Amino acid sequence: MMLVKQLLCSWKVWVGVIVIAFLVLIPFLEIRGGYLQTLGFLTFLYISLSTAWNILGGYAGQISFGHATFYGLGAYTTSILILRGIPALLTIPIAGIVASFYGLLWGYPCLRLRGQYFAIATIGVGEATRLLMLNLDDLIKNNYLLKGFLQKGVLTGGATGLMLPMPPDIRTYATGFYYGVMVLMFGALLVSWWVKNGKFGLGLFAINMDMDAAETVGVNTTRYKILALMLSAFVVGISGSIYAQYVFYIDPQTVFGFPTSIAMVLMPTIGGIGTLTGPILGAVVYIVVQDRILTANLNLGFINLSLSSLHLLLYGGLLVVIILFEPKGLLGMYRRLSNLWEKHKMRFLIARGGIEKI
Amino acid sequence: MTILLEGQEVCKNFGGLAALQRVNFLVHEGEILGLIGPNGAGKTTLFRCITGVYPPSLGKIVFMGKEINKLMPHDICVLGITNTHQVVKPFPEMTVLDNVRVGAFFGRGWVKGEVKDANKEATRVLDFTGLAPKANFLARNLTLPDRKRLEVARALATRPKLLLLDEVIAGLNATETDMMMHLIRQLRGNGITIFMVEHVMRAVLGVSDRLIVLNFGKKIAEGTPDQVATNPQVIEAYLGKSYATGQGQNSHRVTDGEIPNKTMERNNSSCSK
Repeated sequence: MMLVKQLLCSWKVWVGVIVIAFLVLIPFLEIRGGYLQTLGFLTFLYISLSTAWNILGGYAGQISFGHATFYGLGAYTTSILILRGIPALLTIPIAGIVASFYGLLWGYPCLRLRGQYFAIATIGVGEATRLLMLNLDDLIKNNYLLKGFLQKGVLTGGATGLMLPMPPDIRTYATGFYYGVMVLMFGALLVSWWVKNGKFGLGLFAINMDMDAAETVGVNTTRYKILALMLSAFVVGISGSIYAQYVFYIDPQTVFGFPTSIAMVLMPTIGGIGTLTGPILGAVVYIVVQDRILTANLNLGFINLSLSSLHLLLYGGLLVVIILFEPKGLLGMYRRLSNLWEKHKMRFLIARGGIEKI
Repeated sequence: MTILLEGQEVCKNFGGLAALQRVNFLVHEGEILGLIGPNGAGKTTLFRCITGVYPPSLGKIVFMGKEINKLMPHDICVLGITNTHQVVKPFPEMTVLDNVRVGAFFGRGWVKGEVKDANKEATRVLDFTGLAPKANFLARNLTLPDRKRLEVARALATRPKLLLLDEVIAGLNATETDMMMHLIRQLRGNGITIFMVEHVMRAVLGVSDRLIVLNFGKKIAEGTPDQVATNPQVIEAYLGKSYATGQGQNSHRVTDGEIPNKTMERNNSSCSK
């Protein structure tokens, strides 16, 4: 009861309740013809992605530039299975499991590398996977054993990608997915919270700070890193699966593309790496900026620039600026500013004689 | 006394460098064993062989009847051997309490990861080592003596049977040294066997039951502190041949006279530049 009373008194809880209620009601409010709903869907999806990436990259400190492999694999697993008549809902966990086993496959050798070497290796894995997906059909076309997987000569569809059949009532379908991805987001946040406050997270933090010391006090670093990668891959795989079902069309360049990996690195970095709420903030900022920029034009009179072609450049610049000036992201900035504010408030009170100097 | 740890002909090569050559040693249960030797003698390498960071190139290390040379460091820690690091390695962005909690969670005999139990164990260890008032400090804000204490506390939280202390006293002042020596004796009183590397002779001779001396990767002496301190080979290793062969007085005077002159010359020349 005390806890409930305390909760009712805190303004943060009330703000949270109002925000969540608003988010739940968005599909019924029909603001700007469903525009806000699509934006909400993308935001929730990207919050899940960035929270999942944060488990490996933030908590364990293993910066991965290859998370698009899981996203793409999730999307492709779902699409391939749906095209072969398997119920859509069932394909979602399968996508997660496939992604997490793929994580085990490349995580085991790559996680032996440390720091930037791991990051470089993941870039390689990401690109290799994308190229493999582009050319997989050609590779297995003439293979007798694998021919059974093809459907009209197609498994992954190469560069043309895969189309999923659209449902008749697209409005309800989209709304369903809006809530679905919301559940996914809360699930991801719950997992992240659980990891952060448990034994698992303590081990990951120890690995992040000093791997040798962690090893000598009994942390099985290899196992913990791989588990973190698999958990992260599982959530990203599910997100990919939901993305594929929402947009009905996937191709290697979007889901396996390097920009997707970069997005997953960028969001937690913007918000505050290794924290629970940082990835949320980062994802919101990322989506809003992307949404504004993709449609913006810069008209200088003599030249008309479409900013959408520049958005990757902007993100690259942003990453450099953040790492140079505020490595802890928006949350770090908030903490610093609030400390400053407290200090000034204190000084003001002392100057006014309101409280005794301590 | 039962044998806790036994090293048989332990060798470690780094390329062409033989860091350890056929070192045999025994650690009895409940003793404080010191390991001394000049710089580069292989003391830390021997510790790293025991904890599994560098697996020995040849030879066997047996802990409580179990061969441990092929095990990973975390497995060895779970078996009951924990070391502290010569260059302290706290988890800098964690609080002192969390640092110790890592040890409590992942050390020996921790089957269930219950947060409450680990916290209790961590608090107990912090009280014991005297770090309790600083439990909520970030580890990177600690002073060197406190960091060394934290190394010991984190290692203790894993509930080791054998604790390897790698130069926990080096760099501490006289009072802090006494406190650390007191802590080490208390640990032995609690049933933890201690194997320590130390350069501070006052501390290591004062606290150890037995000593092993390494020089250039070979064991040159073993015995009680008195035996070791009077062993000619040990004196030779530390102070040079002339001391060991009894020409100490003469050579002493000569070096005494020479060294200050040389250093003065060096100082002068560096000043003039």
